[in-house]
Amino acid sequence: MPLSREAIVEGLQRIVEPGDVVTDEQILVESSVDNFRKLQNIFNVHTMPVPAAVVMARSTEKVVELLRFADEHGVNVIPRTGATATEGGLESAVADSVIIDGSAMNEIVSIDAYNMQATCQCGVPLQVLEDRVRELGLTTGHSPQSKPVAHMGGLVATRSIGQFSTLYGGIEDMVVGLEAVFPGGQVTRIKNVPRRAAGPDIRHVVIGNEGALCFITEVTVKLFPYFPENNTFLGWTLKDMATGFAVLRDVMVNGYKPSVARVYDPGDAGLHFSHFAAEDDCVLLFMAEGAAGIAKATAEGIQAIVDKHPECTQVPSEYIETWFNDLCWDASKITAEDERIRQTRNVNRTTEISADWSSINDIYQAARARIIAEIPDITMMGGHSSHSYINGTNMYFNYFFNVVDVGPEEETSKYYLPIIGIICEETLKRGGSIVHHHGMGKARAPWVKDEYGSSYYVLETLKHAFDPNGIMNKGTIIPL
Amino acid sequence: MRFTVVMDGTSAGAADGTPAGAGEGTADRTADGPSGGIHRRAAALGAFLRDGLKSDSAGASRGAIDAQLAGDTLVFYSDERAKDRLVALAPTRDVRLVRIEARRPERMAALLSARAEGGQTDLFLFAGGPAGTELATRLACRSGGQALSEVLSAETAPDRLSCRRSIYSGHLTGRFELSARPWCVAVDPSWADAGGSETVAHTIVSAIDETGGGGPDPFEDRERMEAPSSEDLAGSSFVVVAGSGAGDRQGVRRIAAAAREMGATFGVTRPVAMNAWAPMDRLIGVSGARTAPALCIVAGASGAPAFFWGIERASLIVAVNTDEHAPIVGEADLVLLDDAVAVLEELAAIVAAEREKR
Amino acid sequence: MRILAYFKVTPDYEALRESEWSAAAGRVPSSGGGEGTSRGPSADGGAGPGRGEHAGPADGVDTRYVRRILDCFDESALEIALRLSDALVGRGRAAGLGALSIGAPGAEPHLKTLLALGFERAARVHTEAALDFAPAATAALIAAYAGRIDRSDLLVLGARSSPGGGGTVPFRVAEQLGWPCLTQVTEVEPLADGRLRVTLMGDDGLQRLTARTPCVLAVGNAVVSHLRVPTLTDRLAVRDRQPDVLEPADLGVDLADVLRREGPSLAALEGIDRHREGVLIAGDTPRAKAQALFDARLKSLLEEL
Repeated sequence: MPLSREAIVEGLQRIVEPGDVVTDEQILVESSVDNFRKLQNIFNVHTMPVPAAVVMARSTEKVVELLRFADEHGVNVIPRTGATATEGGLESAVADSVIIDGSAMNEIVSIDAYNMQATCQCGVPLQVLEDRVRELGLTTGHSPQSKPVAHMGGLVATRSIGQFSTLYGGIEDMVVGLEAVFPGGQVTRIKNVPRRAAGPDIRHVVIGNEGALCFITEVTVKLFPYFPENNTFLGWTLKDMATGFAVLRDVMVNGYKPSVARVYDPGDAGLHFSHFAAEDDCVLLFMAEGAAGIAKATAEGIQAIVDKHPECTQVPSEYIETWFNDLCWDASKITAEDERIRQTRNVNRTTEISADWSSINDIYQAARARIIAEIPDITMMGGHSSHSYINGTNMYFNYFFNVVDVGPEEETSKYYLPIIGIICEETLKRGGSIVHHHGMGKARAPWVKDEYGSSYYVLETLKHAFDPNGIMNKGTIIPL
Repeated sequence: MRFTVVMDGTSAGAADGTPAGAGEGTADRTADGPSGGIHRRAAALGAFLRDGLKSDSAGASRGAIDAQLAGDTLVFYSDERAKDRLVALAPTRDVRLVRIEARRPERMAALLSARAEGGQTDLFLFAGGPAGTELATRLACRSGGQALSEVLSAETAPDRLSCRRSIYSGHLTGRFELSARPWCVAVDPSWADAGGSETVAHTIVSAIDETGGGGPDPFEDRERMEAPSSEDLAGSSFVVVAGSGAGDRQGVRRIAAAAREMGATFGVTRPVAMNAWAPMDRLIGVSGARTAPALCIVAGASGAPAFFWGIERASLIVAVNTDEHAPIVGEADLVLLDDAVAVLEELAAIVAAEREKR
Repeated sequence: MRILAYFKVTPDYEALRESEWSAAAGRVPSSGGGEGTSRGPSADGGAGPGRGEHAGPADGVDTRYVRRILDCFDESALEIALRLSDALVGRGRAAGLGALSIGAPGAEPHLKTLLALGFERAARVHTEAALDFAPAATAALIAAYAGRIDRSDLLVLGARSSPGGGGTVPFRVAEQLGWPCLTQVTEVEPLADGRLRVTLMGDDGLQRLTARTPCVLAVGNAVVSHLRVPTLTDRLAVRDRQPDVLEPADLGVDLADVLRREGPSLAALEGIDRHREGVLIAGDTPRAKAQALFDARLKSLLEEL
């Protein structure tokens, strides 16, 4: 017999201070969605089940008690920290869920500049950690667009990636150890070592679990020396994406590690670079960083590679540097964007996938063409590649549409999900991955079996083993 | 250098056809209220004459122009009953009265232009705000002179007038030079906070009745929706400003409630107003009010130049912000690194408790 | 009703770093802010596309490398003009809607967007000179286009521009056309008889009044602040239409002569010192910090106030 909302709230109040159980109706309805259904918050029209409470966890011990309580009574739990998720991972799929909010666990436990690692609680905003280590001449190397607002726990839970990934890697390359709490209240600490071969790398059970297996309470990440004075920017315009992908491949295959390596299609370039790129121009850009010799050699190597492609026209590096300096989304930019949507009902959405070099351009072309042909009211359909590897790259589809003839709450069903469907189909058809760095959330969970194929066995077994009662973030990664 | 201060004591006219500011019912709110529009506009002109206008015409000895004697004040008015009150506000000894039916910018520009033709006036000074800017601009267009609005300070030289005003949305100050006369200058409205001029014994030099010469009003069915906005902000000695760090509409409301509890005037930054989290008339900054309070608490605003322009004359600025790298931290006297809503509510509780005690 | 909306494309000043502004302080712009300020980007990285609309650093603020946006009050004005046109059409009245911009080709993509949004006419008056601080020249070109070429009877534009901000252009245009002008307009609605019900935030507060055309409406802090976005289908429908490009001479304006007489001239840029001490009030909780602030300064200060 499931607990009533009142009983859930009473139970929570016995575990934490009464003030840490939030039951304010407006906060609860706003917490029923994340950015996947952000129009529900922007227009204040809510259709999702309303959570029973948002509970502030202030220590690992409290998380243990809360998860034990939830597990015992079959209460669905949604772990969150910075609440910047974009794929429905924080959405309450079932009634009377409890959101365990770790944003108050915001202590930087240690910064070890000799062993080049920093340990912090899950609620530390990445920006805060980055600012602190910068004072020591160091960087985390992690810089997603959400840096000003996202917290460390959530970044690890969603396998985040930053704008400098081509040099520093994704969050999975940065996390050396962590602490997490599993549904029965089991606390797991994975120690911080340079490498190990003592069996499977169990960090990856936790990294990217999206709150569907455990609650991350603490993480330790690598630190790197920071040489902003050596940052070198390079940019070109060119006429087609195939050339852009080919140049990116050349750079990667030749072993260069720029921190930023991107190619934008004309539509996406028009949003950022219309002051120097023509309407039908793609834009190719790089940033080289690191110690002086490395940054110089990287920039020169890239220059030599692009010089072999006469169809690329170089632009002054100041254009790229100026763009770079205004890249992250802080609270005021998000606020302004919400208001733009409210007034124009023109919505910007993104979907990111990855594939090998042979397939990426085909996926880009096919998905783009189908979306334009099949989905109504599209105002821009474009994208860019922003994270490259030796064997392939990602495609970050960036698109806008007007919400016409339906209420804001129907935006996902009329436009967003059908577009995601096309992108997933075209990606899966060519052997790519349907999620590059936002996480599966609930938005792309319907495609999970196609994504995993026969390896779904491992995922399903993990879920059953660690969350036998199915209380962890129902509908996330694995659909209801 | 001879100047003429232009005081617009007319009104655009209210819904019932009587010019506002003249009728008994509306007098308190406009022409006669202690913080009413005409008082503030007159105060701005007086303060600018006293402190904003410098001369180097007397060779090496720079100094304030003898404001009361070197110029005159031209008062446009519509209602006989308001006339004496308007004359009392004039910042110069000599006063010229011109009566017209109601505020008609084109008609007033024509009358001023005729006066400019005589060439006795080098500088026409207008109060800031849209109406003053319109008159200054229209007069310059008609008389072959040059106009500048929202002027912070001016310095005369024999051949030119050098003025400063804010440009690039508060990022920089520009020094402008006016050459062709008459110089038509609308002073920055914030001069109203610099204290009014001394009481002057006035001489009515001339009084002309120009009623009946204006033609029909191009605009009809005037209806006043709200009392003058944001004047409470400009004149306030204690201002609390909410920025987008308030988080949402609810956060803004809570800061507004805390401000009310403390007896402060409430304002917001442009992003907050544009989000419709607060009415547009609460806007502080380049496109809104320019305040000069003794105390300004900035709650969750980053301190962008276009906003800071609106509070830079505050005697004490207290910033409450979670971001220690926000520009406002270096632009404030005192800084509290914390959640703006939480701190403001605590502060309001402390102030309320203190009030109870006394 | 023949509506003309004027807009300006400006650098995104908020994307400029503080160091750019401090570098600009102390610089002396070229005379009048008018001629001689156009220069392509430096070619250090190769062939820049040299669009010729950029003010070089020696002349003032170096905005060459930031993106271009619709000036904010003009964006409001464009959407308000569109809504007015929609409302007129909804009442069975024809509303010929036109758009005008002045300057280098930077405005071209915006003009095409406006065509896709249903503007019937889109024109750019080509000038190489930067007119940021040349309100008389700007107004001369707008008035000449509205009066002689477009024969519009309603002009809608932003009340002030980001760089200059003086708010005199609408009145200057009104003077040249002999039209009445309302500024700080926040809403416009058509009445059944063809007149317009206008809401504005004037010196006397929020008012509403009725205007006949022709007139100039300058848009201030309106709640409507974003321009709608055309779909790809809308764009396709006007793919072959190009905005008209006119030279000042086509309007009968001798721009060089107008600029020579332009005034006031911008003589110098000065920085603004916003620095204050920033003394940190410490405490463990919001309550403790608030109490520390109250004890340190607010108690005595509030007693005085």
